[in-house]
Amino acid sequence: MIAKLLATDFLKIKRKGLWFLTVLGPFGVVLLQWFNYELVPGRREWLLQRSDDDWLFYLQNVNSFTPLALVLGITILTSLAASIENETNAWKQLVALPVSKMGVFLSKFTVLAFLLAVASVLLFFFTWLLGIYLDLGSVIPYAEIAKFSFYPYFASLPLLALHLWVATVSNNQGIPISLGVVGFLFTSYSFKLPDWLPWKWPSLQNQWDEPLVNVVLGICVGVILYITGMLDFARRDVK
Amino acid sequence: MEYIVETHNLTKRFGKEIAVSALNLKIPKGEVYGFLGPNGAGKSTTLRMLLGLMRPTAGSVRIFGRDLKKDRISILRNVGSLVESPSYYSHLTSYENLEAMRKILGSPKEKIDEVLELVHLSKAADKKVKGFSLGMKQRLGIAMALLNDPKLLILDEPTNGLDPSGIIEMRNLIKRLPKEKDMTVLISSHLLSEIDQVATYVGVISKGKLIFQDSIKAMRKKAQLKIRLKVSDANNAYRSLLAKGIKTDYQDNIIYLYEQSDEAVAAVVEILVDEGYSVYRVEEEHQSLEDIFLKMTAGGDDR
Repeated sequence: MIAKLLATDFLKIKRKGLWFLTVLGPFGVVLLQWFNYELVPGRREWLLQRSDDDWLFYLQNVNSFTPLALVLGITILTSLAASIENETNAWKQLVALPVSKMGVFLSKFTVLAFLLAVASVLLFFFTWLLGIYLDLGSVIPYAEIAKFSFYPYFASLPLLALHLWVATVSNNQGIPISLGVVGFLFTSYSFKLPDWLPWKWPSLQNQWDEPLVNVVLGICVGVILYITGMLDFARRDVK
Repeated sequence: MEYIVETHNLTKRFGKEIAVSALNLKIPKGEVYGFLGPNGAGKSTTLRMLLGLMRPTAGSVRIFGRDLKKDRISILRNVGSLVESPSYYSHLTSYENLEAMRKILGSPKEKIDEVLELVHLSKAADKKVKGFSLGMKQRLGIAMALLNDPKLLILDEPTNGLDPSGIIEMRNLIKRLPKEKDMTVLISSHLLSEIDQVATYVGVISKGKLIFQDSIKAMRKKAQLKIRLKVSDANNAYRSLLAKGIKTDYQDNIIYLYEQSDEAVAAVVEILVDEGYSVYRVEEEHQSLEDIFLKMTAGGDDR
């Protein structure tokens, strides 16, 4: 059943700009670094002087925008995905089909998680290509690029689960958008946030200086929030 | 009789307000069941509970003889529905809309062309639903409901937004389905005239309560004929008739006869003329189904 729902959900996101955003996000994040390094003459040299490890310094620069793009992306993607059903209250049509409500929720989550995963893969390639273009050194730290591309993804799963939950149960899409705006502000100041706030996690910072903590937290809390959201969605009457 | 849908004390409460109260619907197989009631009587809430969209506060639903709570998914495989305003994805074409549903239902691809043909949307198959008129959207909704060859078709106000020729087409389609496709149809409306023309069985709901449920023939029987007489000095005429042993009703200067045979009417007229009253009018008063419906639903107020 879940395969059928997935096929349907991928058909439904056609022409809604979700794929475009999936590409735009990582492209934008890397493009900002191209501006940073290349736009002002002499800036690249100055930046390269500031660290011993040019690649790592560059990756940290990229990663200063990745969490913001993720939070923004999650807000917009979940809201768009929910609006597809909300527009004509297609939930009632969908749930009156021989499917389980939990399956409906799982399918939506899977589609969005997949889109974000694609965005992370693109981020990996764009980061890698710009790094080569900027000539940051012949030894390319693939593991580090992967870390900076994929860790934020796992660390932001709780936000995806939370947003999908709020977007699917709100009749008023202003609520999830407001949540997204607040989240975006939180993420902008993530270095000041306490470690337990999920909006801090995509930045990969924590007091132990161990990004893997954020990944594990992200997956665990993500699963918990996902299950909570799914149970609540299944429990509610469809209006 | 075999019942396709049977509810037992079906009740739905929203906070303190009782939307549907202890409903015992019985929908016989192969009938077009007209579910009739004024706006806000609880029709849509009932239909939503039949489709598992809403959970009953109390009571149970049996469809195809199985408990909806336990076998929801397998029951819904054989149910087609259009609840309230049609739902669709406006950025997709009508074909894609049906394809999205077909993928879940697992019907063969040819079914899409078949249902599009049935509701006369074949030409608009590759057009985005965004630009459709309300009537076309409604037809698409019907096409969606028929996609899985349902054994039970639930239509909520299906003629909403259709033009007169569309309404006639829809009626003919609804009448045809039980015979041709072995379907049972449940159709709701707040317009008696709509139900009257397609339904073979009627349930009337008012303020969340089922106040009538029987065949449409039984409902029509309630529509009695009356003979009304308009005469000069009606009050005295009524007394004279009473003195002759003829029972009538007197109301607002009009005399109503119980006996309706030609002879009885002729006899009454003869007496009145003999006694010197002028007979202005002898009329048949037909109480329409609409009147009965109004009386039924108005009666619900007092309960």
